[in-house]
Amino acid sequence: MKCPLCGRDAVSDLCRYHAEAKAKVQAAYTPWVKAYGKMEWGDYLDNVKRNPQTGQWAKEIAELLKGG
Amino acid sequence: MSDGYTLVICEKPDAARRVSDALSGGNSRSEQVDGTTVFRFSRKGEEYVVCAAQGHLYGVSDPSEERTVYPVFDVEWYSSDLVDEDSASAARRISAVKKLSAGASKFVNACDFDVEGETIGYNLLKYACGGKEKAALRARFSTLTEEDLVKAFDDLEFQGGQGLARAGRARHAIDFVWGVNLSRALSQSVLGSGHRYRTVSVGRVQGPTLGFLVQRELEIREFVPVPYWKDSGIFARDGKKFTAAYAKDRIETRPFAEKVREECVGKEAAATSVRRGTVQVGPPVPFNIGDLQKEAYRAFGYTPSRTLQIAERLYLAALVSYPRTDSQRLPQSIDYRKIIQGVGKMPEYSAHAAELLKTEPKPVQGARSDPAHPAIHPTGEKPNRRLDASEGAVFDLVVRRFLASFGPSARREMVDVTLAVGEHEFRLAGGRTVFPGWMKYYGRYAGYRDVEFPAVVEGDRFKVVDVLVEEKFEQRPYRYNQSSLLEKMEKEGIGTKATRADIISTLAGRGYVSGESLEVSDLGLSVVETMARYAPSIISTGLTREIEEKLEAVEGGAEGEPALLRETVRSIAAQLAELNANEDAVGRELDSAQMRTVAKSFVLGRCPVCKTGELRVIRSKSTKKRFVGCSNYSAGCRASAPLPQRGIVRTTARPCQHCSWPVVYIVGGGRPWRLCVNPSCPGKWKS
Repeated sequence: MKCPLCGRDAVSDLCRYHAEAKAKVQAAYTPWVKAYGKMEWGDYLDNVKRNPQTGQWAKEIAELLKGG
Repeated sequence: MSDGYTLVICEKPDAARRVSDALSGGNSRSEQVDGTTVFRFSRKGEEYVVCAAQGHLYGVSDPSEERTVYPVFDVEWYSSDLVDEDSASAARRISAVKKLSAGASKFVNACDFDVEGETIGYNLLKYACGGKEKAALRARFSTLTEEDLVKAFDDLEFQGGQGLARAGRARHAIDFVWGVNLSRALSQSVLGSGHRYRTVSVGRVQGPTLGFLVQRELEIREFVPVPYWKDSGIFARDGKKFTAAYAKDRIETRPFAEKVREECVGKEAAATSVRRGTVQVGPPVPFNIGDLQKEAYRAFGYTPSRTLQIAERLYLAALVSYPRTDSQRLPQSIDYRKIIQGVGKMPEYSAHAAELLKTEPKPVQGARSDPAHPAIHPTGEKPNRRLDASEGAVFDLVVRRFLASFGPSARREMVDVTLAVGEHEFRLAGGRTVFPGWMKYYGRYAGYRDVEFPAVVEGDRFKVVDVLVEEKFEQRPYRYNQSSLLEKMEKEGIGTKATRADIISTLAGRGYVSGESLEVSDLGLSVVETMARYAPSIISTGLTREIEEKLEAVEGGAEGEPALLRETVRSIAAQLAELNANEDAVGRELDSAQMRTVAKSFVLGRCPVCKTGELRVIRSKSTKKRFVGCSNYSAGCRASAPLPQRGIVRTTARPCQHCSWPVVYIVGGGRPWRLCVNPSCPGKWKS
């Protein structure tokens, strides 16, 4: 099975790089909520996607999670 | 002793000319032997002939003609023209040395005194001069000034234990065995996966270095920034305003950042603490090659390999000492006073030199030393030709650093004020130079800025006019640039001062990294991932560092290079067995990464016309010419543009500021040039 985001061999549904990026995107949600006091999951993903500091794989994951 | 002449072997033609001029007092005659220039002269009743290598004239290779077979563990030394087709002149130079050696009764190795120079001289004496490597004398010098060269030839030494040459030859053999076997194993695995042959290589130092880059690349690509806030208060008194930062540098939540604002604006602040102090800032230590490369990158943006090339040109012009040194120390024997006096004859340094010569000059010394050469310093000679801009810049940097290392410590006044508003505190910090000391000599390279601050004493009260709440995000890690990567290699103890810059260039040449900030390609990622899985020692710092340490011991005179070579062979054989057992998987992974890297290099950026497609480099099936076209062509987007038909097209990250079309660099045949691919770009008309 191939990673839908980059075509590398997938470990489960993603390659190991995108799987790691997904874990990081999910883990950062709690600090974002704490930082703003309140934030919806969808808004969080939009913010992560738009942020110029976000890494390429993390952006692709945010896009994927938003689409799903 | 027969009445033949003394044959002197130098490392480069320029050095041969300088040696001849110095020893003959400018009375040498040049002649051609097999198309190479040699110099003849008499000195103290002896006849001398000076010839030159041109870098390495011998290289390591395997005796087999077959270039796809591995493992290869038997290596031999061959003349470079047989090892590398680009070294055709090597045969002529070797032939000239062979002819000249027939009439020589005494041999002098006058190549640069370091591992590479010693190896170059040793190989010529051994192979071209018929086994004179042990009988030859050694001329040791750190500058190509007349005085140093004459002294070196008055004090010729026997070659001794030849630790440097033995270490150099062992290093070449180890690196060859390492590189040839892994490159063949990896390239063959790609070929075996059904695709055409491509060279995929992992050198001994290249592997761990690529490992550092990949580690950083993963951190960057997976990075998710977390927000935080910074508050700054605007304070006023007597109509004058100033800004001070909230004492807590990073505020974790927006509600708190806003609470600070609400609780402070319009209130009164009191200066609860004013701390003033003076700090001494010591002069910088003299340059070793790594420090010079880092400083030239910081000051001028020169890559480490460019700086090394420039420094070597300055050395060959007898303007600076030998640059490939680890030393940060200036021994008294170089005669500080004489060099400062020499430098003082150049108008831009005369005032500084005069000042330093008022007392007995004594430099600050660094921690690192090198038994072969002192720290890089000017020779005190004036340039006798016009230096180009980059040579002038590096020369100025070397001279100023040298002068600065003799300067007294600078003094800076630091002030730290705390302003309290209820439970909140703001801080105002500043510093200014009150005594420049060495900074005066180092000039613009010193890099200390003065931050002015208002005169405040404890108890002073101010009005809080406003508090600015600024949203920030954690910064993702920086990619390595050539300078910071060089620093990392030094810190990790891999590579040598002579090879680190070239290794970085090789990584770019192989397509593993690109750009000024070294971005790793899919192929680079895949090479490290594959190695980590099947042959982890190849990218481990441990093994490379261990070999490096053992080679250093050999340089110092220890025996043991045959054992080291055997150990390396055993280690590589084990890694090759793993790669062999997984050849199919390795080939598939590397090949698909290579395809992705190549495909990516054809994508120039987002299409500014349809906004959804990608502009790509396409080759016309009918005309075979390349042009730019949109991936949405079949959906109706007709964005296209012509491209130059010669040179390599290199993509850039930023689109054109005038029209948002992609910008590329065309590389090849001269200086790379920047091109917005849009033929109707308004920026073109403007310029």
